[in-house]
Amino acid sequence: MIAVSNKVNLHPPQEQMQKFVAGELSTGLSVAVSAHIEYCAACQQASAKLEQALSADWDAAATAIAESEFNSILDHIAAQPQSVAAATVDAVPRAIVVNNKSVSLPRVLAKIAAAGLEWQHLRGGISQALVKLDDHTRCEFIYMKPGSKAPAHTHSGNEVMIVLDGSFCDELGEYQAADFVMRDPSYRHQPRTVEGCLCFSVLDSPLLFTEGMRRLLNPLNRLLFLHR
Amino acid sequence: MVHPETQPPANPKLALLALRESASDEELLIAVGNQQSRIAFNTLFNRFSNRIFAMGMKLTRNEQLAKDLVQEAMLMVWQKAPLYDLDRGNAQGWIFALTRNRCFDLLRKIKRQPACVSADDIWPNDGDYRDLVESVDTGFMSVELEQVRACYAQLPTAQLAVIEQIYVHDRTHEEAAAELNIPLGTLKSRLRLGMEKLRTLVEAQ
Repeated sequence: MIAVSNKVNLHPPQEQMQKFVAGELSTGLSVAVSAHIEYCAACQQASAKLEQALSADWDAAATAIAESEFNSILDHIAAQPQSVAAATVDAVPRAIVVNNKSVSLPRVLAKIAAAGLEWQHLRGGISQALVKLDDHTRCEFIYMKPGSKAPAHTHSGNEVMIVLDGSFCDELGEYQAADFVMRDPSYRHQPRTVEGCLCFSVLDSPLLFTEGMRRLLNPLNRLLFLHR
Repeated sequence: MVHPETQPPANPKLALLALRESASDEELLIAVGNQQSRIAFNTLFNRFSNRIFAMGMKLTRNEQLAKDLVQEAMLMVWQKAPLYDLDRGNAQGWIFALTRNRCFDLLRKIKRQPACVSADDIWPNDGDYRDLVESVDTGFMSVELEQVRACYAQLPTAQLAVIEQIYVHDRTHEEAAAELNIPLGTLKSRLRLGMEKLRTLVEAQ
């Protein structure tokens, strides 16, 4: 079971949370925010309140649907059987095993992991498993072995990292489970970990993605998500 | 346009409520869920189709997709209405979350995004975190697990079983009810009573 905590330090900014609730974020970022919310009591409350507020302000468009069309949609629906199907939520295993350790994931990430993760082992005790969620973001699970260090790098886009297990630190601080760590292109940082760390990372730069593809062709530098 | 009711409603009083334009969204939605009332559904359709269309236009910027969304979301309201109850908050919030989720999946489909994740995974229970929020409001979640464990022994077995299903095994209400082989309503009331009892016990410590 994932522990819901009142003591999470880093949260999505208000504006991002609002877009999440409105359904306006990319799939990759929505997954990241959803995973954070499952851990974070404060953001559960915040998102419930935002949803309440957004739905209360829910107005109709200036251009309405023509009445004839309105009626044909209504007829179509009323002709359908009202299946009293109980909500079937796929039971997915919550735990994945990384470096011989079982880690329990938030529901949405467990669902994604259940489709199968392909780990690539990079230099310096760092592994990554890419997951394709949409065309706008580059999403991956990143695992850093205890005592490992990533090369110093900047990003050409915004990066969000959710700490899933363990902790890591960089020049700006130390990050624990559930933390929603955001880095814009101005940061140059060098993540390192003492106890080991599993993260989910979302990079929202299609530009970098192309560059990443190019880098994939270069066998000497497989750290595609990093700019050295 | 008015569809005749296909069957005499089980509860005539509710059906009459649904007929009235002044009926609340919640009364209408429950009438759709309990009695498949088409009249109640028509009224809901009148109230929500243009709002759904507006959300569709905002998120898809495409008129045809926005119309598809009206059809998909209202069909879902028709089909899922039996799962609605007042515990899920107001009807407008419920329909809002349902519409947002359908729109998200509609766009994912159009963009041919991989099917490994869907809106219902991102917003579980259509975005309903309320059960957890209530617990947090009273400071319950901040209580150490050890303390809570000591109180468990004092709960009636039936309530304890429900709490275990939801908070230990992390099941949804529907899953837990199926697992324990009890009606959903019974599960919810046992959960509520159990959590209240637990809260009282924890506070008394």
